Amino acid sequence: MKLRSFLGFSAPSVALMLLLLALPLAMTAWLSVRNCAFDMELATVVQTGPFGPAKVTTQRAKVDASGQPLQVCSFVGAAYYRKVLGLEDRADAPGGDQNEFFGALRFTLLYVAATTPFVLAGGLLLALAMNRVTQRLKGLFIAASLLPFIITPVVGALSIKWLFRDNGLVPHLLSGLGIELYWMAQAWSAQLLVVLYGVWHTLPFAFIVFYAGLQGVPQDSLESATLDGANAWQKLRYVTLPHLAPLVVFVTLIHVMDAYRVFEPVVVLTQGAFTTSVQYLTYHVLLQEDNPYKASAAAVLTVVGIAVLLIPLLRKTWREQRRGG
Amino acid sequence: MLAALPILWTAVISLRSYVDAFSVPLKWVAPLTLENYRGLWVDREFHRNFVNTLVVTLSVVTISLSVGCLAGYALSRYRGSLGFWLLIIALIFRALPHSTLLPSFHALFDALGIRNTLFTLVFVLVAINQPFTIWMLRSFFVGIPQELDEAAMVDGCTRMQAFRRVIIPVMWPGVVTTGLFSFLLAYNDFMLSSALTNADKMTMPAAIAGAITAESDALLMQGVAGAVSITIPLIVLVAIFQKQIVSGLTQGAVKG
Repeated sequence: MKLRSFLGFSAPSVALMLLLLALPLAMTAWLSVRNCAFDMELATVVQTGPFGPAKVTTQRAKVDASGQPLQVCSFVGAAYYRKVLGLEDRADAPGGDQNEFFGALRFTLLYVAATTPFVLAGGLLLALAMNRVTQRLKGLFIAASLLPFIITPVVGALSIKWLFRDNGLVPHLLSGLGIELYWMAQAWSAQLLVVLYGVWHTLPFAFIVFYAGLQGVPQDSLESATLDGANAWQKLRYVTLPHLAPLVVFVTLIHVMDAYRVFEPVVVLTQGAFTTSVQYLTYHVLLQEDNPYKASAAAVLTVVGIAVLLIPLLRKTWREQRRGG
Repeated sequence: MLAALPILWTAVISLRSYVDAFSVPLKWVAPLTLENYRGLWVDREFHRNFVNTLVVTLSVVTISLSVGCLAGYALSRYRGSLGFWLLIIALIFRALPHSTLLPSFHALFDALGIRNTLFTLVFVLVAINQPFTIWMLRSFFVGIPQELDEAAMVDGCTRMQAFRRVIIPVMWPGVVTTGLFSFLLAYNDFMLSSALTNADKMTMPAAIAGAITAESDALLMQGVAGAVSITIPLIVLVAIFQKQIVSGLTQGAVKG
């Protein structure tokens, strides 16, 4: 295909991505080093009170010709970065802004690290088990297993919340066993729930990919292994698993990418109480604290985080591709 | 199975009043009622959110696929390094957390006065979807032999004519699969929908956000009904398109 055709065909897509992805990203970076505040002035007004008119001096925003309050925007450099990273000690909020980003990053990484092994192992086990299920049930099984992955994350997280909340099904069953547990009330159980959601949600993806991979295991390798006297475990270890290795890398890559963006379970299950995430931080600062500049700083740090996280993984996948083809 | 348990339980309690849904001790059998659904769909006018979701989702899928097919086709046929770099950049954008775009979206759209519109939401979702879409479509197009369109061009067609006459008729399986994932992304979106729209323009997932910190029992139960309402179309979707979904998920893995 000629370059001209290529450019023509890909232009709409590229234009959209530039306009609504690249540009906003650049703008976020720009916003992160600025701050706009209302231009305030001292004004003396006459207020009529119970004791007659009195002159009062207050602060109010300057207005321009049309009556809109004036804003003064200026470059503030790394000020918001310092705030978000907790590098600034604020006398008026000693514990307030401390380590907001690092706390979010820490739980996000914890979430990624905690969910990944279970997703991989669980998906693998399920795929191996599925291989033995009769043909007729397979379709139904797969459809049911896909559901957690397809379902709206908000709905999925809410479903888990309703299952585990006070007076929900799970606490009821647990109290039958003598365990009284209020899941949302302490840090470890709330965090466990979020991780649980993550595993519940992503396991189907790993399962489907591994299951498809299992169908492609070279039969002759398996047969010659059996002839050589290998048992099931050895066959698994030396024939099946190496065959699945690139798929494991693939699933890990996709999962890490998605898990880093964890948002819905944090919002739904805990509203930021014991758990937080980098996406949640940006969202919260933007919409709750109504500070787009600070939110932008958090957003840029989030991008740095994912870059640091992904580059080694990407390079490994890249090398794998070049070797395997 | 375990996987479906939370959803099944949610469906069960959606048909109960709050008292029965979360009673102490838990009842296994309780009187069924449709009042949660009525409260949601009629009193809180959830049907409006449903229409919003419908509009947004269908628009996103259509536009995404149209734009994406062109790009995917181009990427499958072009051998220069520019195509490679485009794919890499798309991959990077795919990893981008959406929240990083929010501050500028918020500021920009507010300034332009287009924040609380479905139109804006549609285009934002299309753009966010593009990286994934063009990757997926490209691998489908790679599977369509180049001889087909090359033959057409030898016969005198321009590239665009070749695309229209030869490629479009055979590209549907791949397009359907990609469309499914596009649909899921638009339908399931929460963060962008809730940040960029208000009450009556919200899509369904954003609208039931009220159930997260339900101030009243009725609100909570309506949220449960909402959750089920949102999920039913998805269940239908999985039932009908299971094969396509599976092929879409694995296809990326096999072709890397």
